[in-house]
Amino acid sequence: MEKKSKIGLICSAGGHFAEMLQLWEAFEGYSVFLVTYREKTTVNRKNTYYLGNIVRSPFAFVVGLIKILWIFVKERPDILFSTGSEIAIPSFYFGKFLFGAKLIYLECSAQVYQSSLTGRWVYPITDLFLVQWEPLLNQYGSKAKYVGGLI
Amino acid sequence: MIFVTVGNDFRDFSRLIRKVDSIAPDIPDEIVVQTGYSKYRPKNTRHFDFVPIDSAIEYVRASELVISHAGIGTIILCKEYGIPIIILPRRKKYGEHINDHQMEVAMMLEEKGSANVHVIYEESGLERVIKEVLKNRKRDTPIENIGRANLIRTIREFIERGVKE
Repeated sequence: MEKKSKIGLICSAGGHFAEMLQLWEAFEGYSVFLVTYREKTTVNRKNTYYLGNIVRSPFAFVVGLIKILWIFVKERPDILFSTGSEIAIPSFYFGKFLFGAKLIYLECSAQVYQSSLTGRWVYPITDLFLVQWEPLLNQYGSKAKYVGGLI
Repeated sequence: MIFVTVGNDFRDFSRLIRKVDSIAPDIPDEIVVQTGYSKYRPKNTRHFDFVPIDSAIEYVRASELVISHAGIGTIILCKEYGIPIIILPRRKKYGEHINDHQMEVAMMLEEKGSANVHVIYEESGLERVIKEVLKNRKRDTPIENIGRANLIRTIREFIERGVKE
């Protein structure tokens, strides 16, 4: 029997969230859960876990990390996909090293020439690393791929 | 309807909202502003701070014109639904963003050249561009987003490979 992958989708609010919605089709047929920030723009969604913004305070950061761990223990993701931003950093490191998840990262289309802090953090451990502008490729190693952008 | 949005960023972008408010009396269309975290509250338009993203999508779809910062979410939606958009990038020098990446996005979009995307770099140009867009009142048929299709295919192939392993 074919194993059904569990996919964790990770993104902060705003443009990162909008990019996630644009790519929803990629996960059709799979069991998915979403981890995002609790904002007025993201409320009341199905299969969604909410965190306070982890960069708001050191306390929020620690609470957020514990919550991500708790979510992953419960959900056991096989694959994580993120459109950024920093919420991807602890999620990817936990996912890779504690749960053996495969990682897919899409650098936000706001990054035209400069890599993002999140991108630089997760690049070394990401299995499929995508950027949305060709000039950005030379900011990363040979693993980075450009196949097109959303905007 | 004209929908105005300054995104989810916590930094103030009253510069755009104040300008929209000041020219609103001269615009025949209804204007709705999502003010976000910006402090300025328009006196001449309907406004709210935030609506859930699905409602924001409906506002965009129902609009004849969207006015926005160079935020990715709004730009994507306007592209998807073929809605004309006027973009005023947030600037670092005014404390509107952490850096000038919105300038880079705006310039890149301008370089790509789409009939529906209108970039302005100073708010003084806003009224003229609004009137030009409204005069033409044409909505593009949305074209297939090839970048999006490629991204979906690439991600899906990777996931399917993972399942087989």
